[in-house]
Amino acid sequence: MAHEIVFDKPATQREKLITELYKSAFPTVAKYVSKMGGSFDDAKDVFQDALVIYYEKAVNGGLSLQSSEKAYLLGIAKHLWFKKFRDGGNNLPLDNCIEGFEITDEADEQPSTNKLMRYLETAGKKCMELLSAFYYHKLPMKEVAGLFGYAGERSATVQKYKCIEKVRETVKEQSLAYEDFIE
Amino acid sequence: MRTSLNEIKEIDDHVLKQAAPDEALLFEAKLIINPELKYQVMWHKQTLSLVHQYGRNNLRAEIEAVHQKLFSQPEHEGFRQKIMRLFRKR
Repeated sequence: MAHEIVFDKPATQREKLITELYKSAFPTVAKYVSKMGGSFDDAKDVFQDALVIYYEKAVNGGLSLQSSEKAYLLGIAKHLWFKKFRDGGNNLPLDNCIEGFEITDEADEQPSTNKLMRYLETAGKKCMELLSAFYYHKLPMKEVAGLFGYAGERSATVQKYKCIEKVRETVKEQSLAYEDFIE
Repeated sequence: MRTSLNEIKEIDDHVLKQAAPDEALLFEAKLIINPELKYQVMWHKQTLSLVHQYGRNNLRAEIEAVHQKLFSQPEHEGFRQKIMRLFRKR
């Protein structure tokens, strides 16, 4: 299977993007966090969370083009720092900071999520890669097809639904098992 | 596509609000008639939520890998010093 190699393309692009953003925006964020009395690790945490938010907004088309990426990242980081400072904890409740991802919280409430995730990371890796390329990284189906070695959009789309079916079955089994458990 | 996959497509379109108006209406009706479908929708949402979490976990790992590179490789020495200087004075 030639996946590993072709796979690389978007991952390489992301690495490049992350490196560029780190180089351009991390110094400013670190300076801010340092000024506010935070440590290097605080700056790192806040910046990495800001990168995740920035990325998710970017792929979802939610970035306004008015401000530079550097200004945008600093804005998010300040907001996260403020939250962290106010809540006094070390945990950034990242999921609550982002609008429009309400489905994320639902799974977090499932007690078996971690167990499920570990299972899917191994047994269902190929499907999870394909599904996350489409649903998380928002790559066009045509590109997903190319990356995963499908003849065209149509067969990749069929595979996408097959993968959902497969993962959903696992999710279903898990939640039914959990229901039995609490009864 | 086989029937079960078509059903998944319908659910997916419903969840992502991508169904055409007439199809959306038809799906609403199916939800009322078929109580099992509500569960399918719920499991579908949980599946997408897991996929989202999976993608985010991987992105986090990629970010951390870049961080490790920047803070260990010799060619980024200048950058590293610039950052570390900010935290040394206290």
